[in-house]
Amino acid sequence: MAEPYDVIVVGSGAGGGMSAYHLTRSGLKVLMLEAGRDYDPTTETPMFNIPAQAPLRGTSTPDKPFGFYDATVDGGWEVPNEPYTVAEGSEPFIWWRPRMLGGRTNHWGRISLRFGPLDFKPRSRDGLGYDWPITYDDLAPWYDRTEKLVGVTGASPPMGLTNTPDSPPGCLLEAPPPRAFELFYARAFKAMDIPVIPMHGAVVTQAMKDRNTCVFATACGRGCALGANFQSTTVLIPPAKATGNLTIQANALVYQVDLDKAGKAKGVTYVDRVTGEHHSVTAKAVVLAAGSGETARILLNSKSSAFPDGLCNTHGMVGRYLMDSVGLNVTGQFPALEGLPPTNDDGMSVEHTYVPWWGYDRHKELGFPRGYHIEIGGGRQMPSVGMARLLDEDDLSVGDDLRANLRNRFGSVISFNGRGEMIPNDDCYCELDPKVKDKWGIPALRFHWKWGESETRQAAHMTQTFLEVIDRLGGKALGQVETDGRKAISKGGEMIHEVGTARMGASENDSVVNQYGQSWAVPNLFITDGAVLVSSPDKNPTLSILALAWRSADHLAQLAKTGGLA
Amino acid sequence: MSDETPKPYQPKIDRRTALIWVGVVGAATAVGAGVVVYGHKTGGKAEAQGYGTDPKLVEPEKAPWPRIMSEAQLQTAAILADFILPASGTAPAASALGIPDFVDEWVSAPYPDQLKDRPVILEGLDRLTPSIQPPEGRQAALEALAKSDDEKTRAFFKRFRALTIGAYYTTEAGFKDIGYIGNVARTSDPGPSAAVKAALEVQLVKLGL
Ligand SMILES: Cc1cc2nc3c(=O)[nH]c(=O)nc-3n(C[C@H](O)[C@H](O)[C@H](O)COP(=O)(O)OP(=O)(O)OC[C@H]3O[C@@H](n4cnc5c(N)ncnc54)[C@H](O)[C@@H]3O)c2cc1C
Ligand code: SF4
Repeated sequence: MAEPYDVIVVGSGAGGGMSAYHLTRSGLKVLMLEAGRDYDPTTETPMFNIPAQAPLRGTSTPDKPFGFYDATVDGGWEVPNEPYTVAEGSEPFIWWRPRMLGGRTNHWGRISLRFGPLDFKPRSRDGLGYDWPITYDDLAPWYDRTEKLVGVTGASPPMGLTNTPDSPPGCLLEAPPPRAFELFYARAFKAMDIPVIPMHGAVVTQAMKDRNTCVFATACGRGCALGANFQSTTVLIPPAKATGNLTIQANALVYQVDLDKAGKAKGVTYVDRVTGEHHSVTAKAVVLAAGSGETARILLNSKSSAFPDGLCNTHGMVGRYLMDSVGLNVTGQFPALEGLPPTNDDGMSVEHTYVPWWGYDRHKELGFPRGYHIEIGGGRQMPSVGMARLLDEDDLSVGDDLRANLRNRFGSVISFNGRGEMIPNDDCYCELDPKVKDKWGIPALRFHWKWGESETRQAAHMTQTFLEVIDRLGGKALGQVETDGRKAISKGGEMIHEVGTARMGASENDSVVNQYGQSWAVPNLFITDGAVLVSSPDKNPTLSILALAWRSADHLAQLAKTGGLA
Repeated sequence: MSDETPKPYQPKIDRRTALIWVGVVGAATAVGAGVVVYGHKTGGKAEAQGYGTDPKLVEPEKAPWPRIMSEAQLQTAAILADFILPASGTAPAASALGIPDFVDEWVSAPYPDQLKDRPVILEGLDRLTPSIQPPEGRQAALEALAKSDDEKTRAFFKRFRALTIGAYYTTEAGFKDIGYIGNVARTSDPGPSAAVKAALEVQLVKLGL
C-alpha cells in the first residue's frame, strides 16, 4: 500500500465506523481493516421479500441462524474457520460474530438508550462493580452529537425519571404512535405504577438532513436499503469515504499490533481470509475496534519481549471483566387481543414503547442490586413458518375452523424480554486457548463464564413481573415457564452485548486504557469498541460505544494536530 | 374420465413459477425460467450441501439440495395438505400454492431440524398412502389421523399440519387469508385506527384496566 496512513482502524462496526468517520473528517488518512467481506446494504437488502421467496420459507438454519433474510454474512454463533472455546467447568458462553463491512450494526436491534449518571459510578453507589473514570456529564455532549448523527427516536417532554436521561431538545426524533398491543400492555404496567415510555430506536422517523425516512414496513434486521436505520455501512462509512481520506481493506483479519523499537505502535499484521497471505501495514497510530472479544484476542496475540503475556497486559487486565446483559423472555397469548380488526402493525421495526427500570429506590427490599428494562414485541407481524405455534397445543382443527382459529389468534401474542445489568466478576473473562488455533494458526479465544447471584435473582424477578403482567391482561404464558432465575437466565454472550475485556480507568494498574481509549502501555494505540466499558448497565451498549468512540477519536485527532503522536 | 376423479397433483417445482403464482414477482421476470427435475434419493450418498453462509438475499436462488420425495409421497402430501387447508371462498387450496413441493424441499434439506422431520414426514406419508388411495375411504382415513391411537401417526399429522400452515401463511395468498396487510411502503405510521382503539378499549374495560 503506497499511501502513508495516519491511522489504522481495525474493524468497521459501531466503534470502528465511528472512529473512521471522525478521523477522516478531521483530515487524517485512515486505513480501515475489516475481517469480513465488503457489503453494501443499498443493493444487498431483501427489503420487501416474503418468506415464500426464500429457501425453507426463510426459517433459521445453521447457515443463517437468525433466518435466511437476516443481514448476517458468514457468521452467527459460529464463524467458519474461526473457532472459540469455552473452558471446562464454565457456564455456557456463546459469541455472535458476522464477517462483513459494518459488522453487527447491519443487523443489530437498534435500541439506543443512554447510560445514566448512576451507571458510571456503580461502586460509589453501593460498593458493587467499578467506577468509570468519567461521569455522565463528560459523555453527555457526545451522546447529543451521536443521537443527532445516528437518528434516534424517543423525543418527548422531559420526564425526569431516575437514571434514565432526557435528551436535550433537538436530539431525538418522534417515535411512531404505540400499536394496539402496546396500548394494551401499557395499561397493565400503569396499574402496577410502572412507566411505559417512547422507545429510543435508531430509525429515522421524521425528515432529517442527508437521510432517507423510514417507510414503516420491512424488517430492519435485514438491513435497510434506504439507509433509514443506523448501520455503519450507510451512516458512517459513506461520509468517511466522501472525504477521500478513507481506504478500506476487506477480508483483512488482523492478529497482531506491531511495535517499533521505542515501544510505540507502528502498525498491524493481518492475514487475508481469502488468499491466506500475511501483510504488515504501518501508520502513525492504531485504533482497535474489532469487537470486545476480538480486540482482546489481538492484544493477547501481540506478544513481545516487553509484553510476554500480550500487549497492554502487564497487569493481567486484558480479557478481564467480560460482561453481557441478563436476558430472559416470557411470551403470553391474550384472548382480549383476538379478533381485533386488521391493522398494519409494521411500524418502525423497533418497539415503539418500552419500560425503563422502575425500582431504583427499592433494591434493598427486592433482594438484588441492579435493574432491568423491558423490550416488548407483538402485533400483526409478517407471518413466519412457525405460524402453527399461535394455536393451542391440542388444537388439531382443519379447514375453515383452522382458518378461523388462525385469523383470530393472529396478533394476539406478546413477548416480554428483560435486559438487565450485570455486575463484572472475577469468573467472567477470556484468554488465549492453549491449544486451539484458527485456520491460519492464530490462537483462538477461550471464554470463562459464571453469572452472579445479583444476576440470577434479577432474572427470577423478571419472570415474576412478566407473569403478573400477563395475568393482569387476562392472558396465559406460552410454554413451560421457568421460575428459577439460575435456570431461566440467558447464556453468557447470548444477549450479544459482550463488553469489557480492556476497560478504561484512572490508573494503569487496574485498567487497559484511559478515559479516551488510549492505552496506558502504548500511547499511540487506542481502543474504541465495547471492550473499554467499565460496567454493563441494563441499557444496550451500542449508543454508548458510538459516543465513546467519537470522544476518543476526537482526542486522537487533537493529538495528531498538536504533534502528540510523534 | 369421470368428474369425481381428482386431478393428480402437478408439482410446481420451478421457484419462479411458484413466485409468480403467489404474486411476488411480475410474470415478465419468468422469461427463461428453466424446468427443474426432481432428483430421487440416491442411497449411501453424503448429505447434500446447504445454501451456505452468504447466500444471495434479494433474489434467492433455488435451494441447492436435490428433492427426495417420491411421486407417491407427493400425491399423498397434496391430498393431506388439501384436507388441512382446502380451498375456501377466495382462498386457494394448499396444493394450489405448491405446499407439497415445499414439504419436499423441507424434508430434503441437509439441516438438523429438517433432518429430524424427514423420517417423521416420509414414513407418515408412506403409511397413509394405501388408506387414501381408494377415494371412498379417503375422508375417513384423513379424519382418523388426528385421533389415531398410534403415537407416530399423531406426531406425523401434527408436524405435517404445522408445516402446511407455516408454508401456506407465508405466501401472499396466506397473508390475505389471515389479514396481514403490511409490507407496503408508507409515508408515515398513523398508528391503530379509531375502530381498533375502540375494540381494544372494550376489552380493557372488561379486564378492569
Ligand atoms: C441481533 C443483534 C441485536 C442487537 N441489538 C442491539 C440493540 O438493540 N441495541 C444495542 O445497543 N446493541 C445491540 N446489539 C449489539 C451491537 O450490535 C454491538 O454492541 C455493536 O455492534 C458492537 O460494536 P463493535 O464495534 O464493538 O463491534 P461490531 O459492530 O461487531 O464490529 C466489529 C467489526 O470488526 C470486525 N473484526 C472482527 N475481528 C477482526 C479482526 N481480527 N480484524 C479485522 N476486523 C475484525 C468484525 O468483522 C466486525 O465487522 C445487537 C447485536 C445483534 C447481533
Ligand atoms: S423499518 Fe424503516 S428503517 Fe427499518 S428497514 Fe424498514 S424502512 Fe428501513
